[in-house]
Amino acid sequence: MAATCQCEANRQLYVPKLAVLEHITPQTPLETLLQFRFEDGQPLGHRAGQFVEVSLPGIGEAPISIASAPCEDPIFELCVRRVGNVTTALHNLQEGALVGIRGPYGNGFPDEALHGQDVLIVAGGIGLIPVRPLIHHIMCNRFDYGTFTLLYGMKRPEEMLFRDEVEQWQASDAVDLHLTIDRPHPDWSGHVGVITTLFPDLDPDPARTRAVVVGPPIMYRFVILECQNKALADENIILSLERNMKCGVGKCGHCQINNKYVCLDGPVFTYSELKHMWEAI
Amino acid sequence: MPLQVIGCEVVPQLLARLMAEARVVAPHRRTGADQWAYAEVRDPCEVELEYISTVLPAKKYAFPPVEQLVRYELAERPLMEAVVESEPLVIFGAHPCDIHGLWALDQAFCDVNVDPNYTAHRSGMRIVGVDCVPDEHCFCGSMGTATPAEGFDLFLTVVEGGYLVEIGTEAGAAMLDGLPTQEASAAALAQAKERLARRIQQTTRVSAECHSLPLLLSGLADSEQWGEHATKCYSCGTCNLVCPTCFCFNVIDRMALTLDRGTKEREWDGCMLEEFSKVATGENFREEREDRLRHRFYRKYSYLFTKYGRPYCCGCGRCVRQCLVHIDPVEVLNDLIAEAEGRRS
Ligand SMILES: Cc1cc2nc3c(=O)[nH]c(=O)nc-3n(C[C@H](O)[C@H](O)[C@H](O)COP(=O)(O)OP(=O)(O)OC[C@H]3O[C@@H](n4cnc5c(N)ncnc54)[C@H](O)[C@@H]3O)c2cc1C
Ligand code: SF4
Ligand code: SF4
Ligand code: SF4
Ligand code: FES
Repeated sequence: MAATCQCEANRQLYVPKLAVLEHITPQTPLETLLQFRFEDGQPLGHRAGQFVEVSLPGIGEAPISIASAPCEDPIFELCVRRVGNVTTALHNLQEGALVGIRGPYGNGFPDEALHGQDVLIVAGGIGLIPVRPLIHHIMCNRFDYGTFTLLYGMKRPEEMLFRDEVEQWQASDAVDLHLTIDRPHPDWSGHVGVITTLFPDLDPDPARTRAVVVGPPIMYRFVILECQNKALADENIILSLERNMKCGVGKCGHCQINNKYVCLDGPVFTYSELKHMWEAI
Repeated sequence: MPLQVIGCEVVPQLLARLMAEARVVAPHRRTGADQWAYAEVRDPCEVELEYISTVLPAKKYAFPPVEQLVRYELAERPLMEAVVESEPLVIFGAHPCDIHGLWALDQAFCDVNVDPNYTAHRSGMRIVGVDCVPDEHCFCGSMGTATPAEGFDLFLTVVEGGYLVEIGTEAGAAMLDGLPTQEASAAALAQAKERLARRIQQTTRVSAECHSLPLLLSGLADSEQWGEHATKCYSCGTCNLVCPTCFCFNVIDRMALTLDRGTKEREWDGCMLEEFSKVATGENFREEREDRLRHRFYRKYSYLFTKYGRPYCCGCGRCVRQCLVHIDPVEVLNDLIAEAEGRRS
């Protein structure tokens, strides 16, 4: 072979493994929670913040965050918003259906960086999905962390995900939960205003606080400013980014931001990594 | 083995021998056009080795325009299996720039997560390179890609009465076994050297040394020239498709008409196309033409260059030859270099 590369080819790189859809829990009119287990009983073996490529033969593939904590393996959950071909087909599945899964992919949240620190999670809309495993992990290992604050904002009350869990968190002393909706609504007695309006009530210790921010692109700009106003260092602001992804394994080029591949180097980045990249935020 | 010389009449013999063992492809002139394309050799005597770079590079054999990755059968329990195909193939007459293009793809497909399909095609591939006469779009001299340091089994350089032959691999040496060769004379060596010097001189057209480009570009993301050059761009993606070092792809599912089986396939894609970085919610992270042009240039002359140590442009000029509005990498680079120098002074 004339090529310089003589590595043993990894035949299964693009082949999904079959997983059984064991349970469906509708969340909102747009989102549904799907619980899976690999047909062969093997664990997924993921870290909080990683994603999988979900494959429906004949329809296509989509990158979806893993919504369950690693400790629940070999069961894993995906929470899917219906927006297009694959996500609609996922919504139409019945319990017992088989789907293809590739992954887990991506780096996940940096647990070493969070361990022993105060954690502030800021989740906007379906940004709650990728941080849910992290929330579960912190709740289960509560003494490994300092204070734990969770801000969760949505446009309307009916968009709330994981409603039962949110109620448990609300009742729990383990997390300081702040909820908000964008505009007043008859069914809502809580805080109203975009998520940044929750910041004046916070008093984080900048030396100990690590912020984890996940939401729509527009949210990042404003939440980063709020974190900086609270004197958080850029390397302590942790974000998870969404990009177009076709392969998930660093080949297809779609997810590239400047010189990084979101599927390999991300989707989790610190703001200090991103701030000089003009395509990031 | 010292450098050898073969006569012109040995080329058909060499081809005939290779054709007995493998499919052999070589540049063919397209009827009625001054364009060339790689196609299968049917007659060893028909191969012409003086040609202007083919429209599509040799990458189409290592990374085909459309290729199956996974085959599945829908059943109660769907069956999914990898499709990894390889056949012995000789690319005969690849230019140095094309050989460098394959080097670039080798790095990208074989680093973390080795691509099984690419490596399968590559492992069956032999390459006989040939030197060339540049046209006005070639700039391999500037990219350091005018001679291939590696990546060929044999490499031919035109000398009086025949070709000087460099042997790159053992397989290359075996190709010559039993064919009439002569040890290269000092005159033949001098002719080859002179020919190369002339080609490098003609194709050195970028006004900065190529290894300075990543650093030079690092300060130019906000240059207005991206917008100026991009105003005429159609976002057609042709420059991506014809580029030997572009390797982005899309993944699609294709069902058979019977709806009981299908394939997952990949097809060439390009960062100059508007949809390329759009996500399902409608957000497009490189919405403007200038964002996409800048990305393409940074990928070639900065990101991948820095990651793998050589430029991700082989200076072949294919993109500008095929671009309807003539967006020329040499012109864009030279404008940017002038701006960087202007900013410094
Ligand atoms: C790392 C990462 C993690 C992610 N995590 C999650 C997650 O946890 N949950 C989640 O829900 N999403 C997640 N996403 C987003 C998810 O990947 C996309 O929503 C998904 O790829 C969309 O695929 P699709 O085939 O359903 O859409 P496509 O069919 O590709 O649709 C794309 C666009 O076309 C339009 N469209 C296509 N078909 C139709 C149609 N039939 N009718 C109307 N409009 C149509 C849609 O409006 C949409 O805007 C994540 C993305 C990334 C990169
Ligand atoms: S070929 Fe020319 S017009 Fe088409 S995308 Fe490339 S630069 Fe633009
Ligand atoms: S960018 Fe243009 S000149 Fe450079 S390798 Fe690609 S097609 Fe050839
Ligand atoms: S760019 Fe250089 S190597 Fe390629 S065809 Fe032109 S002269 Fe030959
Ligand atoms: S998704 Fe293909 S390179 Fe990242």
